Amino acid sequence: MPISILPPSPQEVPSHTDRYVSDSDEEMADAGDNDFTSSNSHSIVTPGETITSDPQWMRGHGTYIPPNSTTIISTLAGTLQKTNKLLSVTPLRARYAPEIGDLVVGRIVNVQAKKWMVDIGAAQLASLPLSAINLPGGILRRRTAVDELNIRTFFSEGDLLVAEVQMLHQDGGASLHTRSLKYGKLRNGLFTSLAGAGGGGAKRNGSGGVVRSRRQAFTLQTTAGEIDIVLGVNGYIFVSKHTITAGDEKDASITRLEESVSETLYSSENDVVPKDLMREIVRVGTLIRGLVLCSRSVDEEMVVRCYEVAVEMEAEENVMGDVLVGQGAKSIVENILLRIESGV
Amino acid sequence: MPLDTSTYSLALLRLDGRRWNELRRLHAQISTQAAADGSSYLEMGNTKVLCTVSGPHEGKAGGAGGGPRSTQAKIEVEISFAGFSGVERKKRQAKDKRTSEMSHTLTQSLAALLLTHLYPHSTITIHLSILSQDGSLLAACINAATLALIDAGIPMTDYLCACTTAAPPTSAETEAGGDPLLDLNGQEEQELPFLTVATVGKGHAVSVLIMESRVRMEKVEGMLAVGVEGCKRVREILDKVVKEHGKRFA
Amino acid sequence: MPREAEISVNEREFIQQALRENTRLDGRAFDTFRPLELTFGDEYGVADVKLGKTRVIARISVEVTAPLPERKFDGVFQIVTEFSPMASPAFEVGRPTDAEVILARILEKAIRRSNALDTESLCIIAGLKVFHLRADVHIIDHDGGLIDASCIAVMAALQHFRRPDVIVEGEKATVLSVREREPIPLSILHTPLCVTFSYYEEGEIFLVDANLAEEQVRQGEIIITMNRHGEVCQIAKYGGATVDALSLLNCNNVALEKVKDMSKFIQERLEADAKRRDAGGLMAELSAENDR
Repeated sequence: MPISILPPSPQEVPSHTDRYVSDSDEEMADAGDNDFTSSNSHSIVTPGETITSDPQWMRGHGTYIPPNSTTIISTLAGTLQKTNKLLSVTPLRARYAPEIGDLVVGRIVNVQAKKWMVDIGAAQLASLPLSAINLPGGILRRRTAVDELNIRTFFSEGDLLVAEVQMLHQDGGASLHTRSLKYGKLRNGLFTSLAGAGGGGAKRNGSGGVVRSRRQAFTLQTTAGEIDIVLGVNGYIFVSKHTITAGDEKDASITRLEESVSETLYSSENDVVPKDLMREIVRVGTLIRGLVLCSRSVDEEMVVRCYEVAVEMEAEENVMGDVLVGQGAKSIVENILLRIESGV
Repeated sequence: MPLDTSTYSLALLRLDGRRWNELRRLHAQISTQAAADGSSYLEMGNTKVLCTVSGPHEGKAGGAGGGPRSTQAKIEVEISFAGFSGVERKKRQAKDKRTSEMSHTLTQSLAALLLTHLYPHSTITIHLSILSQDGSLLAACINAATLALIDAGIPMTDYLCACTTAAPPTSAETEAGGDPLLDLNGQEEQELPFLTVATVGKGHAVSVLIMESRVRMEKVEGMLAVGVEGCKRVREILDKVVKEHGKRFA
Repeated sequence: MPREAEISVNEREFIQQALRENTRLDGRAFDTFRPLELTFGDEYGVADVKLGKTRVIARISVEVTAPLPERKFDGVFQIVTEFSPMASPAFEVGRPTDAEVILARILEKAIRRSNALDTESLCIIAGLKVFHLRADVHIIDHDGGLIDASCIAVMAALQHFRRPDVIVEGEKATVLSVREREPIPLSILHTPLCVTFSYYEEGEIFLVDANLAEEQVRQGEIIITMNRHGEVCQIAKYGGATVDALSLLNCNNVALEKVKDMSKFIQERLEADAKRRDAGGLMAELSAENDR
C-alpha cells in the first residue's frame, strides 16, 4: 500500500524549510564507496547513518555492524574520523572518557577501607587506592595499617584533588594516582566545571573544552601575584594561589623536598589569600568559562593571551571611563577574541 | 461522543484543518539545558516536552545491588507533569499507574536501543517534563528522549521515532471509513480509537506499539502502515534537527 | 529487595538453541497454550485458573455505594491485583514491581476500558446508589503467563458472578437476599482475553504462553487482547527488541484463533458448572420441603 506522509504544512520555522537532509542522503548514495568519508568536514553523521558497506574498513568507537552484514553504521551524532583503516565517530559532546596519562581534577565522593572513590565526570567513579598517594613522613615508605585507619586525614568526602589516570579497568573504570608532587589536594582557589564540554574529543569538533596538551598545569604571572591553573582533561578546572612545588626548586634533593611539603600536603586549611589575588583568580576562572562558551579550545597559550588582553582592556576602560563590553563571560571573551584576532 | 466529526466525511479535513496524512508542526531543539549531559525540547503541535539526560554516571545503589545486570547500564526514566500542562489545573499524584506505564515503556524501548553494554555499573537517568499536553504524549516523550540521548553522546543503533494513528471516523454513507488519521491532537484522541507506534530506523522495525481502545482487527493493519510511514517522516525531521545542530560546530 | 533468581547463561543458551531447532522445553508447539484448567468455587464469582503451573484466583464481590460524581449513571468497577510472596519470592507486599503495575494496567485497559462489563446496568438509583463491583486477582503460583491467566480468571469470574436483585421504590432501594430472590447475572457485553507473545531471535520466533524460564530469556513481549468477534481491545508492546510490522499483524491472527478457543472453553466450563448447580438447587428445594 503506497502511503505518502505529508510534512507539517505551516513551515513556521525557517530552518525547517531547506531540504538539505534529503539532498545529502542522495549524495551519500551516489558517492559510493570511494569518497564516502564526507571529505567535507562540515557535515556530521547521525545515529543509524550508514558510513560504508565496504568490508575493507574496520569499525571503531561510535559505530556498529548489524549482525550478518558488513555495513558500518554510526551510533552517535558526531564527526567521522579515519585512522588508517579504522573508522570511528567522535560525538559532538559526551561524558569524559578517561585515558591513561590524563591529568584530571576530581572530587572525593566516598571513602572506603583502602581507597577513595573520585568523581571525575566519567561514566563511573574513579578509584584512588591508598597505595597510589604520597604518604607524609618524609621518605618514600610502605603504607601501614595506621595509614588505613587514618585514611580520612588524607582526603575526606568533598575534597578536591588533581591526579593522573594510572590504569583503565576492563569495565571502563579508571584508577588514579597522585604519586608526584604536582598532584594532590587542591586548596586556596576556585573550582570551575565546564559541564558537558569535557574530554579531548570535544576539541576536535571545535566545540570548545580542555585539550590534551603538554602542559595542563601552569603558573600565571598576574599583577597581584602568581596563580596556579590546573586544566583537568575531564573539564574540571582549578585556579588557585601559587604554592611552591618541586618544579620550582630543582636543585633541592627529592627527599628533602618531601619533608618540606609534607606538613601542608594534606592540609584542609586555606592560606590567607589577598583580596586582589582572589580577584585575579575569579577573572581567570570566568575567562576560561567564556572561552568554552565561545566554542574555543582551552590551553595554556589561549588562557595566557586572554588574560593579558583582559587586563589591558580593563585598564583602557578605567582610563576612558566607559564600559565597552556587554555583560557575562561570553560577551567579554568574544570581545577579547576579536581583539586578539585583529592583532591589536 | 463529546465532539462532532460528521463534517470530516464531507471535506476530508480534520478539526484543525489537516488532511489525514499530515503531521502537526514538529519543532525540536537540542542542548537546551546547560546543566544536563544531554537535553532536548520538543513540540508536536501543542504537546510540549522537555527532556534532560544525565549520565551515564555511577548509580546510587552502587555495586552490591547491581547484581548480574550490572554488565549493562541501567536506564531510569522519570516523568513529571507540570500543573498547567492539562486543561484543568490539578495536582497529579506522584506515581499513578499510567505514568509508570509510560516510563516502563520508555525504559524498555531504550534499553534495547542504546548500546548499554558499553557502560557497565552505570546509570542513565532520563527526566521528562511535560509542559503541555495535546495528544500524542507518549510519542512526543519518545522523540524527545531520543534527541536528548543523542545530545548526551550515548551510542544507539538508530533513531527511535514515534507517532500516533487513529482508525478513521466511520460515517453513515461509507461504512468502511476512509484513511487512518495521523498524529492526533487531544480532541481526536478523546474520540477515536488510536495507537502509538515507535520504530527504530527507516524500516518496519517496530519497537513500541500501544493501543488502548477497541477497534476492528482489520483496521489495525491500515493504522499500523500509516504509523510506520509517519515514524519515517518524524525521523527525517529529527535527523535534520541534529544535523542543523551539528553545523554549528563545523 | 529480593529479586527473581536470574537464569544462568547455560540455561539461557540451552533454551535459545532449542528454540532455534523448533523445540520448546516442555515439548509444546510454538503456538499452543499450556493445559488450561478452570474451576469455580461454591460461591458465585470465584474462578480458579491453572495454566500449567501458574495459578490465579479471581473473586468478585459487590457492595452498594454512591456513584462517582462525574459518572452518575454508572456503577463502579474496580480490578485489584495482588502479587503475594507465596507465588514467588520476588514479590513483595506493598511495593508494586513493574510487572505488577503492567498487569494492573493491562487488565484495566483490556476489561474496564473496553467496556466488557456494562457498568450502566450496575446503577440502582442515578446519582445516589450504585453497585460497586470489585474483582480481586490473587496470584497463587507464578510460572509465567500471568497476564493471560489473570484475564481468563477475571472474565470467567465475571460471567460466573450473580449479583443480588434490588427493588426500587422511589428513593428507597432494598437489596434482596439470595433466599428471597434468585440473584441475577451481570450484563457482559463481550469477552476480551489476552494472549501474550514472547519473541526471540530478533522477532524470528514467536511463542505463545511462555513459562517463567522462557519469559526470562525472551527479547520482548507483545500482549494482544481480543474478543472472539475479532475486535482488538488492546495491544501493548513495551519496547524490547524490534519486530517487523508484518509479524505483528500475523500475531493478531494467531491471537484471534486462541481467543476463540479459550472463549469456547470458558463457555463450556460455565455451562458445566451451571448444570452442577442446577442439580444442587433442586436437591436443596427438596430438602427444604422435607423439613416442613
